[in-house]
Amino acid sequence: MVKAPDTLERADNSQGVRCRMVAASLSGKAVGQPVMRVDGIAKVTGRALYAGDVDLPDLLSGRCLRSPHPSARIVSINVGKAKALPGVRSVLTGADVPDTCYGRMCKDIPVLAKGVVRFVGEKVAAVAADTVEIAEAALELIDVEYAELPAVFSAEEAMRPTAPIIHPEAVEFVPGAAASIHGELSMYPPIPNVISRLRVRHGDAASALASAHKIFEHSFAVPSVHQGYIEPHTCLVAIGRDGLVDVWVANKGPHIARTHMAAAIGVQENRIRFNPVAIGGDFGGKGSLMDTLVCYYLARAAGRPVRMVMNSFEELTAGNPRHSASITLRTAVDPDARLLAIDARVIFNAGAYGGFVPVPTLHGGYGELAGAYRVPNCAIEVLRVYTNTVPCGHMRAPGAPQVTFAVESHIDMIAHALGLDPVEMRRRNAIAEGDLTPLGEKRRHLRCRETIDAGARAFGWDKPKSPGIGRGMSTYEHPPGNFGLSTVALTIGIDGRITLTLGSPDTGTGFHTIAAQLVAEHFAVSVDEVEIAQGDTLSSGFEAGASGQRLTTTIGQAIAAAADRMKQDLAALAAERLNCAPSDIGIGADGSFSAPGAMIDRRTLMGWAAERGKAPLTCQGENTPGRHSDRTSFVAHFAEVAVDRETGQVRLRRIVTAHDVGTVVNPITHQGQIEGGLIQAVGQAMSEQIVLKDGAVITAHLGDYKLPTAMDIAELETILLPGGGGTAPFSTTAIGEMSNVALPAAITNAVFDAVGVRLVELPISAEKVLEGLRAQASAA
Amino acid sequence: MVPFTYLEPASLDEALALLAEHGEDAKLIAGGTGLVNLMKQRLVRPDFVIGLRAIRALAGISEKDGLRIGALATIQSLEVSELVRRHAPLLAEACGHVATVRVRSMATLGGAMAHGDPNLDTPPALIAMDGQIVARTRRGERTIPVDRFFTGYFGTVLERDEIVTELLIPKQPAGSGTAFLKFLPATQDDYATVSVATRIALGADGTIREARVALGAAAMVPVRARMVEAALSGKASDEKTLGDAAPLVVDAIDPIADFRGSAEYKREMAVVHVRRALVEAAAKAKEAR
Repeated sequence: MVKAPDTLERADNSQGVRCRMVAASLSGKAVGQPVMRVDGIAKVTGRALYAGDVDLPDLLSGRCLRSPHPSARIVSINVGKAKALPGVRSVLTGADVPDTCYGRMCKDIPVLAKGVVRFVGEKVAAVAADTVEIAEAALELIDVEYAELPAVFSAEEAMRPTAPIIHPEAVEFVPGAAASIHGELSMYPPIPNVISRLRVRHGDAASALASAHKIFEHSFAVPSVHQGYIEPHTCLVAIGRDGLVDVWVANKGPHIARTHMAAAIGVQENRIRFNPVAIGGDFGGKGSLMDTLVCYYLARAAGRPVRMVMNSFEELTAGNPRHSASITLRTAVDPDARLLAIDARVIFNAGAYGGFVPVPTLHGGYGELAGAYRVPNCAIEVLRVYTNTVPCGHMRAPGAPQVTFAVESHIDMIAHALGLDPVEMRRRNAIAEGDLTPLGEKRRHLRCRETIDAGARAFGWDKPKSPGIGRGMSTYEHPPGNFGLSTVALTIGIDGRITLTLGSPDTGTGFHTIAAQLVAEHFAVSVDEVEIAQGDTLSSGFEAGASGQRLTTTIGQAIAAAADRMKQDLAALAAERLNCAPSDIGIGADGSFSAPGAMIDRRTLMGWAAERGKAPLTCQGENTPGRHSDRTSFVAHFAEVAVDRETGQVRLRRIVTAHDVGTVVNPITHQGQIEGGLIQAVGQAMSEQIVLKDGAVITAHLGDYKLPTAMDIAELETILLPGGGGTAPFSTTAIGEMSNVALPAAITNAVFDAVGVRLVELPISAEKVLEGLRAQASAA
Repeated sequence: MVPFTYLEPASLDEALALLAEHGEDAKLIAGGTGLVNLMKQRLVRPDFVIGLRAIRALAGISEKDGLRIGALATIQSLEVSELVRRHAPLLAEACGHVATVRVRSMATLGGAMAHGDPNLDTPPALIAMDGQIVARTRRGERTIPVDRFFTGYFGTVLERDEIVTELLIPKQPAGSGTAFLKFLPATQDDYATVSVATRIALGADGTIREARVALGAAAMVPVRARMVEAALSGKASDEKTLGDAAPLVVDAIDPIADFRGSAEYKREMAVVHVRRALVEAAAKAKEAR
């Protein structure tokens, strides 16, 4: 490891993670150690069970017929020929399923289209057959007659008074989810096609803008992108003879999904069992039921279990990609370039249905707006709007990448307009201890400036550079999630081994490994002595699931509570065995129990307890959810690009990313989150975009929807500023949504630095850069 | 994908017989990197897929009046082959730019020709080397210059019962240098926005004896820019002369607008990359002298 002179840690990605820092209070056995993934061998040897691997007797394959029109009335559907095809076991249309609509907050998604279709790709009919091929052949035999209706594709057009109304019906929504949002929220306000309008105010932005020294206004556009997980949406439903509904689905929050499914199909929650499966990537996209409801109705109609797997065409055209956004920012500054007020308008295009997200609007669309800066006056309006396009969902820090691209470009543009160095502009306005956030929230642990400085130093911000080379930076702030209930059970067996039963899947982040390390640390044992058991939704306690970088914090708290109880129970057992009072029992560094003049190790104690019917021993634990953590974390990215003036091509040469972190539970997984997030951000900066034509997604396969490859990734250096721990056990904080948000603006800022071309839309394209260079030349 | 019957003949004669028997209901498959995508998108729905992988006569690379490359030679094998690197470095270089290593290890050179996709990297390289395609039917064998092989978007001169068996690359002229540029402004795993293969042979006096310029992703077919070639013949090989000839490429191409750029942008990029490729090839030719 290269140890910088101060408290920095460097992780050099080219040679693996070579450094770690273990706080003196840790055992050195678990937390802080580069432990191998607990599910690693099962995954690389193909033994891990994904939803698509589950096999059952008489299993059928389900496929859906999808709408070719963005907006149409269904005049008639004829399924006669499809039903007659040998091997077809059930065929359903909207007429065969209940009217109940599904949604995680807004209940607006029909199981199958009822009378109208609202986007290209909407499910119109479904078939279950002996094989996928027969099911697909049957789809081709279904005749649907449509009468096309007017459609609207852009959010701005959808809000015009003359726009066609996409959901004329009154959409039900869960009021609880709306109540959790701060600011002035109107659901379905009297603006055409608007799902939600949120206004958040702190201070008096209007007055500050009216009397400001200078005002800057810029607009930005960020396209929809796909989450890019490897495993497509997959589900399998089997209805037992006793009526128990068994579900295997790639879903990041099985308990909540179970509750939504129960409401949608009218079956009690305790008659539905979501079974544990491995998940091949989520990135926020696997929180909905997607095909699970139609799969259930197919299984019910056929009397046999049904599996449905979306293919990549369906994923890209009819999944639940990130919301596209248009963002306008107006900012007032004083003569010292200090930010006085921000007025922001954010419009999210939700697509045809709002129900894929559990909130009225995307939290990142306002929550972290200018969060890294001290802005005493702030007025934000966020609109989420229906259009006749693919319905959008959540993706890794929902809303934040879109808004942060705008904010971090805007700050850079202001700095350049004022003739100020972009790092100095940010340092001058960085939020510091004692400042309120732009939304007026009080947070502790504000190391924004330190994070920027550490990154700038490692990057060599002030070093000379050649012509055609540009450097840019961006920063972002985000607290760990401390919301939603987590419950776990710890069991210590008669052999002394410890099992953690939890309801959260590992979506691919390595969370099960983190959980094992947290458990092991409480007992000062190695991770080898801990088993992770993901329970089904009947056997595990409630778990709100993976979202908003919460699991390490919330499950960490639940584990701590269970471990405390278990230590007490173990001390009581040891006291009984050693004939002393529980208060006399000491716990050694090796996990053994001691009393004055006597000692017993855990394994022997549990063997003794088993003979008396007191082992295995199980203790439950749960967290105490707060709405948000009052601790937060910062990240600063620095990017260097080379721009080819003849072609407009932007080559990413180098990235330095500086992270304000707490205790790093697992340096390998932690670095994996940083690098994975940055690579995702490189894709969104340089190549990824869901392109629509007449409302239909035309980037319909991975040949046209361009994810970055290893060859596209620049040299990367990671700087960690340890010691920023939060309130979670062992002073951990969160990393999952820190690295993927702000990088695109650092890259476009670097392009501006290189050639003076400002890109206000993502992704970067060489052609757009060349156009910018031409415009420059003709202006000169 | 629509179900189909898979047939795997053991010999070329057997394959030719099967192809003659099933005609338009059949498709040949080698590496499958092109065909399978079309089948998955249901753009092609053959009843019979005839696998060529067992036909040993279609494999192998040998040196005889240049190079003879079996149609089943994989792109990966050509990229790393010492023979190819020595006698046809332009082909090895182009192969190194094809998609990803996973695709390269499956895709074949014969398949890349028969597929007829104008976006592929190997056709312009073969055109710039005066490559030829050997194709067989039960009636006989013929040899077709690569620059006359492509007839339209995914279209070739192949008859429906004809199989590409070999690629021929003649001995390259003495004192020649080559260059292959694949312009990939977004990701490195993509079709080219435009690709350019060039070969320049210099005479004893240092002037250009002969030039070859071919482009991929620039029209409905891989194209040869004969106007550029003619303009350079007998001229000096300095950067100005090469640069002045490059704009003539726009008459040879007819790019389509797609995710990789507008037609206008592709035309401009063709000019830039033809110039850069000519300069690189000329520099290499000077080294070779």
